[in-house]
Amino acid sequence: MNQPASAPRTGTPGPVISHRGERLRRIMKNRYLYLMILPGALFFLLFKYLPMWGLVISFQDYQPYLGITGSNWVGFKHFERLFNEPTFWMIFRNTIVLFAYNLFFFFPIPIILALMLNEVRLLMFKRIVQTIVYIPHFMSWVIIASISFVMLTLDGGIINELLVFFGFSKINFLLSSDWFRPMYILQVIWREAGWGTIVYLAAIAAVDPQQYEAARMDGASRFRQIWHVTLPAIRSVIIILLILKIGDVLELGFEHVYLLLNSMNREVAEIFDTYVYTAGLRNGQFSYSTAVGFFKSFVGLIMIVFANWLAKKFGEEGIY
Amino acid sequence: MNSTKKRLRILTMCIAVIMTCSLMAACSSGNNGGGTGTNTPAGEGGTNAEGTAPADDTPFEITMMVTQHSAEVPSNVIPQLIEEKTNTKIKFQWVPDGSYDEKLNAAFATGSLPMIVSAKNTDFAKDAIRADQFWEIGPLLSEYENLSNLNPEVLNNTAVDGKIYTLYMERPLSRQGVIYRKDWADNLGLSEPKTTDDLKEMIRAFTQDDPDGNGQDDTIGLSDRSDLIYGAFKTVSSYFGTPNYWSVEGDTFQPEFMHEAYMDTLNFFRDIHSQGFMNQDFPVTSKTDQIDLLVNGKAGVYIGSMPDVLTLSNQLADMNPDGELTVVNGIEGPRGKGIWAIPGYGSVVLFPKSAVKTEEDLHKILAFYNELMSAESANLLTWGIEGEHYEIKDGLANKTVDQVTDNTHVKPHNAWAIGGPATIEGMLKGYFELPARALAEELVAANDEMLIHDPSAPLDSPTYIERGGALQQIITDATYQYVLGDIDEAGFQKAVDRWRAEGGDQMIQEYTEAYQAIQ
Amino acid sequence: MVEDRTWGNRIFGAVNMLLLTLIALVTLLPFIHVLAGSLTTAAEMSAKKFILFPTTISLDAYAYIFSTNTILRAMLISIGVTVGGTFISMFLSSLMAYGLSRRDLDGRRTIMFMVVFTMLFNGGMIPTFLVVKELGLIDNYMALILPVAINAFNLIILRSFFQNLPEGLEESAKIDGCNDFGILFRIVLPLSMPALATISLFYAVTYWNTYIHAILYLNDSTMYPMQVVLRQIVILATGMSNESGAFDADYIAPPEQTIKMAVIVVATVPILLVYPFLQKYFAKGALLGSIKG
Repeated sequence: MNQPASAPRTGTPGPVISHRGERLRRIMKNRYLYLMILPGALFFLLFKYLPMWGLVISFQDYQPYLGITGSNWVGFKHFERLFNEPTFWMIFRNTIVLFAYNLFFFFPIPIILALMLNEVRLLMFKRIVQTIVYIPHFMSWVIIASISFVMLTLDGGIINELLVFFGFSKINFLLSSDWFRPMYILQVIWREAGWGTIVYLAAIAAVDPQQYEAARMDGASRFRQIWHVTLPAIRSVIIILLILKIGDVLELGFEHVYLLLNSMNREVAEIFDTYVYTAGLRNGQFSYSTAVGFFKSFVGLIMIVFANWLAKKFGEEGIY
Repeated sequence: MNSTKKRLRILTMCIAVIMTCSLMAACSSGNNGGGTGTNTPAGEGGTNAEGTAPADDTPFEITMMVTQHSAEVPSNVIPQLIEEKTNTKIKFQWVPDGSYDEKLNAAFATGSLPMIVSAKNTDFAKDAIRADQFWEIGPLLSEYENLSNLNPEVLNNTAVDGKIYTLYMERPLSRQGVIYRKDWADNLGLSEPKTTDDLKEMIRAFTQDDPDGNGQDDTIGLSDRSDLIYGAFKTVSSYFGTPNYWSVEGDTFQPEFMHEAYMDTLNFFRDIHSQGFMNQDFPVTSKTDQIDLLVNGKAGVYIGSMPDVLTLSNQLADMNPDGELTVVNGIEGPRGKGIWAIPGYGSVVLFPKSAVKTEEDLHKILAFYNELMSAESANLLTWGIEGEHYEIKDGLANKTVDQVTDNTHVKPHNAWAIGGPATIEGMLKGYFELPARALAEELVAANDEMLIHDPSAPLDSPTYIERGGALQQIITDATYQYVLGDIDEAGFQKAVDRWRAEGGDQMIQEYTEAYQAIQ
Repeated sequence: MVEDRTWGNRIFGAVNMLLLTLIALVTLLPFIHVLAGSLTTAAEMSAKKFILFPTTISLDAYAYIFSTNTILRAMLISIGVTVGGTFISMFLSSLMAYGLSRRDLDGRRTIMFMVVFTMLFNGGMIPTFLVVKELGLIDNYMALILPVAINAFNLIILRSFFQNLPEGLEESAKIDGCNDFGILFRIVLPLSMPALATISLFYAVTYWNTYIHAILYLNDSTMYPMQVVLRQIVILATGMSNESGAFDADYIAPPEQTIKMAVIVVATVPILLVYPFLQKYFAKGALLGSIKG
């Protein structure tokens, strides 16, 4: 990477120090940095790590009135139940497929959109479009679902009326397992694409204009400028977001999926969260739902560790 | 430069230290042991009950968690009147309808329940009830004049292992019936449907015979929604004679869907769906969209709660001033008449021992509810203040307030009343201008003559508690799939077999045993 | 500036703007539908289902929602929580992110891993509730802020932005006699305006959307923020409330669709206005060049 003007610091840590005294000296030197981290670290300890004892209830038959100390330990019972569910593999497959849709069809879109916006020379136009595309993020899934229903229903929905008008036959979007995934991902794109551009636009804003200047001097076309100046500047953000996305493998948005789910598309639409909702949570089965959550977190952890390792392998900085 | 730097440094240090200290101070304020939350008193205001018997004139403080059905914050006018009557101070925790379960579970699991907990039923706490975490009130009810009027059968439906822990809010046993466009029926010369065949014929004719006479094929018969219970399906199924969730023959339990009548219902709906007599997307149609179909003159039949006719008529009048709706019930099927019944309560109230510390306090709460069950207080909670919110017309309560006032002053407080017109002597019923709505009221009462009860209501099944949701889903899915033509009878049978294999058989056995134990 | 007015670049620019206009249109239409729906009558809404231009204009829905002070109060609460929360969050996050952005810090990888770990594993609602309760935050607005004061995702992004600043900055600042706090507040933060604006926006939106914490941690319904009111109306108006149990349609008629639309507009517009306001900071990156110059 050749970035003469604002080379980001390279990923090499300071020289390895074996000498204890020197290390101590460095820590002392950085004491203010530790002081800066302290409030945040306390926050994480208090609100994130302290409550983590709650995870042990996945190994118990937790009864609220007995509390954690009083509830029976049952080992891996709830995990066994999960893995032995007749629908476990169906749910697992559905989740992975939806994740793949997210990764391949959604993830690149905000990047492309941000690059497109960055290429607009008319400042007013750029700002207006930017503001408009981020509006859908504020529409709740309930609203999006009800608007989608109005557009797609067989009973007088606009899209189906148009299809009929142009001589096609109606398409059963809402009650078909073939249309569930496209519908899911289109709604995600519609709602989140504009919102997703914000962080990339911020990264692009940090690029030194002189770099474009220099590229133009060299006669680089707009595409080449994007490729050689803009993309490298947001590369580290892309990689971090990608790693985090991969860690979110089993998090697909409960409310969104739940609103699209019905008896006719369950075989492709049921995911862990919706399953837990119908199967357990309504009856206050704290232990079972915690166990399912534990499993999801565990898979996410493996994925994120793997993704971070891979990033480092390719010479990127990774997250940690 | 130097002094600015210094100032900045001091300032930032100070902020950091303050934030740190406040966080640390917060830490040490009582995190010992993480807290299992077993017997901690209810969050705010729950402690007041402890030990201290307040002198007779100090109001007794009550904390109460109750569902908020309106969007507006409820006013305090009516609670204040009740407080004066009962010498209490009520502290409400209004929880929005859509999140009540979450709040209830959280408060329950963290020992933060208030003194009075309202819930749909006792399912959320059955184990805790068995472990003596809630006050048993059954034996105490007879000490209170008004509370002893509560219906023992309904109380029994709320019981856990035959013991009564709750007071209940009364609901008519069945409000289900058929609402249809009377003007359409008149146009086509159709009379009121009496049998399931009549009903089907009406639904067909409303689709095919141009009931609105506009010369266009733009109507359907039935408008339904994604709800097999409170939508059309369960009601029609009881017309065909399907049991209410469970049947009991001899001593043996059988689920509704193993009966022929259920299959008849499936075929009824499959038939009208495949011929386009009902909205094709009904498995994903919301109640709002269902209503829109009806009030826009696109559909002519609505099967569900008959009192809905009031809202429906109001909306229809806006769009089709000539339209007229009416209600009918008692549709006769091949096996006679029938209509499914709820267990007779809409919600229950429980009294956790963690917040109601002493029996003395329990008695104070029961006395409070005894007063709420007096005609005067019940009318106050249900209708508001006479002359201000309603007037009496023909011995009935006629609302006289605008919607906003009603939504903030009166309606929210319906949610914490108990009992109802059947158990409170002298409680007013509603006056309705609209004849169809008044008729609906009569028909709701007439439903009582042909009720199909759910025999499992007072019984208990561990498998139901653990797997009931997932098992029911199998049948719900298969029902929709059959109606939409995705599976045939063999496919439905396969789903039933799956239901049995995954725990259904166990449920049958558990209910059968529980039933025999009580007999 | 060298302008690149070749034909290729002009066509590129035109096609690009055309595409963006289309995209903007597609994203805007549903919002226009909501806006139009809030400005018409319930009858028209029910008849047309999808409205872009109302034929009858009616402000009844707005008159209705402002007829009680519920919405106004909830709005003020939301604004307060959003402003206060964003401030606290930005303060804590900037400090921590900067500390962790310095490569010569021992233990930073461990701390970062522990931060990432919390994105995956959490103890769930109950133990967090107990912590909040033990801190005495029930029925306190701080309960909506402190438990989410730092968002791991935002922290990681912010740190990444700090890391991408040119290396020479700190060295020169140190020569000027600044300590780490000085470097952060006088050099790093002013140079990171696009990043700070972005993360502030993220936090502001999170606080604005606060819903479930309000339900769990606030027992006093007069303290509910906007989203609780909004959601209640949306759920009631969509006919999603639970018909079994306590809900009794007989007593409480669902609010009309137009009211639902009006509440959505009222609850969304304030937060929508934040972004255009922040956009000016997205050009500030240019500063960077001049400073280093």
